[in-house]
Amino acid sequence: MAAVDQRLLWTIGAATAVTIVTIAVIIGRDPLHQDLAVALAPPSMLFPLGTDHLGRDVFARLFHALPRSIGIATSAMAAAVTIGTLVGLAAAVSNRLVDAAMMRLTDLALAFPGLLLAMVLAGLMGGGMLPVLVGIALGQWPQFARMTRSVAAAAMTEAHVEASRLAGLAGWRILLRQVMPRVLIHTASLAALGVGGAVLTISSLGFLGLGLQPPTPEWGAMITELLPYMDVAPVQIAAPCVALFVTVLTCMIAGRRLAEAI
Amino acid sequence: MQRAVRHAVPRAVLRRVLEALSVALILATICFALLHAIPGDMALRIAVGQLGTENMSPAAVEQIRDAEMLSRPLLVQYFDWLKAVATGDIGRSFVSGRPVAEELRQAGGYTLRLAVIAWLLSYALALPLGIAAGLKPDGAIDRATAFAAAAFSSLPTFLIGIALISIFVLALNLLPPAGYRRPEHLVLPAITLALGLMAPSMRVIRDAVAEVQASAYMTYAHVRGFGKAKAFIRHGLRNASVPIVTFAALQFAYLMDGFFVVETLFNFPGIGNAMVSALLARDVPVVMGCALLIGTTFAAISLAADLICMWMDPRLVDEGHGSR
Repeated sequence: MAAVDQRLLWTIGAATAVTIVTIAVIIGRDPLHQDLAVALAPPSMLFPLGTDHLGRDVFARLFHALPRSIGIATSAMAAAVTIGTLVGLAAAVSNRLVDAAMMRLTDLALAFPGLLLAMVLAGLMGGGMLPVLVGIALGQWPQFARMTRSVAAAAMTEAHVEASRLAGLAGWRILLRQVMPRVLIHTASLAALGVGGAVLTISSLGFLGLGLQPPTPEWGAMITELLPYMDVAPVQIAAPCVALFVTVLTCMIAGRRLAEAI
Repeated sequence: MQRAVRHAVPRAVLRRVLEALSVALILATICFALLHAIPGDMALRIAVGQLGTENMSPAAVEQIRDAEMLSRPLLVQYFDWLKAVATGDIGRSFVSGRPVAEELRQAGGYTLRLAVIAWLLSYALALPLGIAAGLKPDGAIDRATAFAAAAFSSLPTFLIGIALISIFVLALNLLPPAGYRRPEHLVLPAITLALGLMAPSMRVIRDAVAEVQASAYMTYAHVRGFGKAKAFIRHGLRNASVPIVTFAALQFAYLMDGFFVVETLFNFPGIGNAMVSALLARDVPVVMGCALLIGTTFAAISLAADLICMWMDPRLVDEGHGSR
């Protein structure tokens, strides 16, 4: 456990350093500034990744999109974890009938394809940050509910929980002190994987034109905008693709590491 | 006791069928709620859809309100909606004015063709690779496929598609970039979908095969003198199939996520494309139609998969659920 903590600290430290350097580099670069005179310019000292069809700096757009996507993905996951944990805990402590009803509801929500839900919500609400966030959160909570219920139900049959109950500890205290830590460990790895999936969903929605609306820099939307210029601007279109791949892969690896550490 | 056994199979099947029907009912209810929850006057929207903005008049709106009986209580409208959904008549598109069912039938045909080809192609690749990996866990094939699966599941579908376009269309000039009329138009969309599908199914097949290989009855088959291949075909295959069939149905969900992106990227006129353009145009009846069609197809496919699993492994009947 100690070794894992150290590795995690290193990762967080490295991520912070990268963020600080990135912010230092992109300060003063405007991702929305258009200059048609330099439209579709190839990479140069001034524009490290070239410019798009409106002469905007692809490098600046790329790095302005990163914190926004990660921020939306993390908030959506936080909302999904909160709803899921509450529903799961409630199901675990309820009687059989309520438990069964809640888990049926969870099954039903789980059976609904996630991107479809996010698409319909974001599409009908007109795109933008909040609809995307809500759409992703609503698609993700069931898996947390199901996991919480099974972990909590297993934890509550254990001897130390039984002992605390006999010692007269209040029910909510037992949940908070002895069941929740167990649940949260499992939640962490699932949530890390979920952040990767959410970044994918955000970019897919952007790609379809249903996510964050232009001119907001967003990787999926950047790819769609540059698609017609694929043969003359290969670097500009490859850049958001690579950024997306690396971000999602990082989240997936982090999730798997956390799962192995349990 | 005997009676209970005799009734166990039909009861399990009936329970599963009822479950699928309730999913469809809830889906229809959600659609009805959304349809009435969006702001604005419904009669006005239908009038604009049917007549166009320039031919619109207050009289026409009132006429449509009467014709569509929109002033009646919501509960009555709800039961009419359920009846309409059951008969497949769910209104007209706000944009084209044509019946939604008619538009979806055409798009659905294109999507079905693409789906079947992509699905078969993904299993043509995943089955041999997954079985080879599962027969020798931790072997070279197992490690290579594990790496490929991890990489592919971090790739959004549109990136696979763009990579294929840049190789086969822009660099090699072998295939047409978009379209739907000729068979070669299906090649790139089908491969894009198949590669995305292949990654997870390869791992599921590998795990199922590896688990069966490690089981006691396989060791016993070897002891009895069956060769490796014969033991696997006689005893392994059927047992390994249960999780694979279950997953094959779940994959329909992945496939649908892929459709929206792939059909938009390749400009293929299927359900995914219809839904995305309907969403962009706020054409609510078409959106609801697509959601209903996709949702009920999904429920029907997972029902079929559960029934097939019960038939393959009768122990599942006792648990009441084929696939959990």
